Amino acid sequence: QLTPSSFLRIGQLSNVDLNEDVHELQTEIPRQRPNEIPHNEKLLSLKYESLDYDNSENQLFLEEERRINHAAFRTVEIKRWVICAMIGILTGLVACFIDIVVENLAGLKYRVVKDNIDKFTAKGGLSFSLLLWATLNASVVMVGSVIVAFIEPVAAGSGIPQIKCYLNGVKIPHVVRLKTLVIKVCGVILSVVGGLAVGKEGPMIHSGAVIAAGISQGRSTSLKRDFKIFEYFRRDTEKRDFVSAGAAAGVSAAFGAPVGGVLFSLEEGASFWNQFLTWRIFFASMISTFTLNSVLSVYHGNAWDLSSPGLINFGRFDSEKMGYTIQEIPIFIFMGVVGGILGALFNALNYWLTMFRIRYIHRPCLQVVEAMLVAAVTATVGFVMIYCSRDCQPIQGSSVAYPLQLFCADGEYNSMATAFFNTPEKSVVNLFHDPPGSYNPMTLGMFTLMYFFLACWTYGLTVSAGVFIPSLLIGAAWGRLFGISLSYLTKGSIWADPGKYALMGAAAQLGGIVRMTLSLTVIMMEATGNVTYGFPIMLVLMTAKIVGDYFVEGLYDMHIQLQSVPFLHWEAPVTSHSLTAREVMSTPVTCLRRIERVGTVVDILSDTSSNHNGFPVVESNPDTTQVAGLRGLILRSQLIVLLKHKVFVERANLSLVQRRLKLKDFRDAYPRFPPIQSIHVSQDERECMIDLSEFMNPSPYTVPQEASLPRVFKLFRALGLRHLVVVDNRNEVVGMVTRKDLARYRLGKEGLEELSLAQT
Amino acid sequence: VRLCQGCHGEYRRLLALYGSIARAIGNSSESHNCAKSILTSDRLQIVVTLSEFFNETWEAANCANCLKNNSEGLSNSTEEFLDLFNKSLTCFEHNLQGQTVYLSPNNYTEVCKNCNETYTKLNDLYNNLQRMNRQGGESGHSAHLCIDVEDAMNITRKLWSRTFNCSLPCSDTVPVIAVSSFILFLPIVFYLSSFLHSKQKKRILILPKRIQSNASLVNIQEKYS
Repeated sequence: QLTPSSFLRIGQLSNVDLNEDVHELQTEIPRQRPNEIPHNEKLLSLKYESLDYDNSENQLFLEEERRINHAAFRTVEIKRWVICAMIGILTGLVACFIDIVVENLAGLKYRVVKDNIDKFTAKGGLSFSLLLWATLNASVVMVGSVIVAFIEPVAAGSGIPQIKCYLNGVKIPHVVRLKTLVIKVCGVILSVVGGLAVGKEGPMIHSGAVIAAGISQGRSTSLKRDFKIFEYFRRDTEKRDFVSAGAAAGVSAAFGAPVGGVLFSLEEGASFWNQFLTWRIFFASMISTFTLNSVLSVYHGNAWDLSSPGLINFGRFDSEKMGYTIQEIPIFIFMGVVGGILGALFNALNYWLTMFRIRYIHRPCLQVVEAMLVAAVTATVGFVMIYCSRDCQPIQGSSVAYPLQLFCADGEYNSMATAFFNTPEKSVVNLFHDPPGSYNPMTLGMFTLMYFFLACWTYGLTVSAGVFIPSLLIGAAWGRLFGISLSYLTKGSIWADPGKYALMGAAAQLGGIVRMTLSLTVIMMEATGNVTYGFPIMLVLMTAKIVGDYFVEGLYDMHIQLQSVPFLHWEAPVTSHSLTAREVMSTPVTCLRRIERVGTVVDILSDTSSNHNGFPVVESNPDTTQVAGLRGLILRSQLIVLLKHKVFVERANLSLVQRRLKLKDFRDAYPRFPPIQSIHVSQDERECMIDLSEFMNPSPYTVPQEASLPRVFKLFRALGLRHLVVVDNRNEVVGMVTRKDLARYRLGKEGLEELSLAQT
Repeated sequence: VRLCQGCHGEYRRLLALYGSIARAIGNSSESHNCAKSILTSDRLQIVVTLSEFFNETWEAANCANCLKNNSEGLSNSTEEFLDLFNKSLTCFEHNLQGQTVYLSPNNYTEVCKNCNETYTKLNDLYNNLQRMNRQGGESGHSAHLCIDVEDAMNITRKLWSRTFNCSLPCSDTVPVIAVSSFILFLPIVFYLSSFLHSKQKKRILILPKRIQSNASLVNIQEKYS
């Protein structure tokens, strides 16, 4: 009786251990409970609901199954494959669109700035060029930021944290809507053209997921058009599976890594998995990369060349030219350690910045202004670095698209400009493949330092942008520096090819920042096109993850925590076996009787103090002093459909109902069910009775009160439940466990921690 | 480097000879033996190797770019370029005549002034040639001009920029510093003002309905009383 609360006491101090408000708390406690604190990462928000992954096997469902014969189920299976193919094709096409538009617009911008700089180099007045560059950047980013901040804020960032949450089972509002897709695509194009230190690969994953969610429903709620196909898939269960396929197709289009995409979806949504789903997801990824490859080949003029399988192409890594020996493995591991430390530094800086942004910069106008300032400063930093650099080198072939001569001799070009005046993807490829001696160490070092801080500042702005490419670029730059210094130290040994070290540095830095293990290894292996590099890459990533996890969490996990999402990890915290369901559950539970008064139902649904979504159904008992046994579970969405169609017992008796309700009526109302306020129930109708027996889920999952927390957690997570009813030994309802109850418990630095709920 | 100008005649003859040897393989058995004995008589296959070397070097130098279509002489644009190049060199020599070898290298102002026009014309012509070459041959052709032209331009540029030091001076550092420090100062102002003026976002805690909620409240009170 004392032991469970002693665990809680250890963690309690982190809840109220806040700087400014502690003294207020001391005076307030005798009068009222503390209720307002500044935002921190140890909160859970109430606005996130779970997805209804579990199927409600009510009478209507059984009827439908009897109606659909065996052959029709095979048609359903074929339709699933068709949908996955369409997801792959459309994701590939969207990626092509982004790539082509970015190439053209960015080329236009660079040409304008370059012409201006060339003109003013001869005449003097380079400050005008600086102003022009900064203004161009700021205005493009302003447009990009305005559409995100004012129209669809959920499209901000890279989208990977939101998709991770969705695959975990959390319904983030607006995350898979058509409007989000449009804003995301336009936003990422504008951010990249605006010269921010960002990449365009992360948003592809979000776009792929939205495309999948949209196609699989066979209709568009935003455009109010129903194509009347794929009606069987209008459920959270099917939609979530297709979103996994869409995310995998997005990864595959971004990196040219189909297997990596499948493993990404697997890593995120691991509990609800089966073989057929894996097969279909792989199919979608392959089609996505093939579509992107063929369309881009046709666009570049050599059809069937098939040389650009992804938005970023790392180039060929030949084993003969760039092999590695076993003596280099410890060097790679050391690079992994460095990557982990640098990644932890990046995450820590970004954490403080994001905390500041959430607390103080929460109005949309301020967010837009901040984005514009970052764009202007990026241009300024680039210009100043190029201006001050005296490093001139003759141009090597056609590797630089927009060479800047500035103050160099004729025929030579400013080498700092090749780093700053290029799209980040091309810079990464150049760092991997340029022959030794193409880069001046000082230039590269300054560039790495500046870009690190710029990228850290840029992530978290209210623009659509990813963080993969900036981290790859930072890592490739310091990796190449490492390789150059290594060959200098060993007086020019042949095996210190700096391009190989650039690759390992890039992997180390990316692993240190995002801490994805399996999927990232396979993605890098596929992107380099060489399986022999898989082993050192895996070692580097594991080392970076271990070292980085010692200090701070991965970037995406950190942002998920800062957004107060009730995210369930793979397992319950290890020291929590002594907590039972009795302490975890919420009680008392609002139950409904099997035959209930409409007025009671409407009142319960309209109650604004508690936003319940699932109600246990208990036996109707004339003797109300005794709690009746559990009979089923009914959801708010089902009740709303029932009230809308006025399925009351009295009306059925009077044969006023024209037809019986079918499962199709529930599916038509999915996913945006009308709120209870829009359902009008007259005073007479409030006295009618409603019979829930046909529509409730007659076999909800239950746990006894003494079940331990890990047991409850495993059941909840593995089956993707939304509500879990806690019963006593007489099958009477004592409490309910939902996602927020389980996500409260976390393993912190001092042991088990409990997070508090907040209204956000 | 005057590879293309000096050797295009000999190379043409070499190509023709090698072609006639190689073509003879398919005909009668006598000429077949003759070709075989020339081409495959030794382990190194020296004739084939040398011929490949010549071909590769010719291709890499891209001499086809500055010869006429039938490879019988230099093209018009190349002649024009070389003409201008010779003029520039003469201009340099002419302006340096009055100076001895031991004079300090800082006195090249005369050269820079007088030969500026010729040099600019040469530079523009070279850039034009490069642009036309890039537009004309997109697929299959090399992106370079022929090696004679490139080398000539390289020599001139090195002379102009390195030896004579006639390049552009570094100007207007002050306005650039002013503008860039202004832009770099803006974010600091922005963050400070939003820290001081914006209302901090607070979160309202919700205490959930649970068994033993009194126990947790007691814990908080114990800690701070």
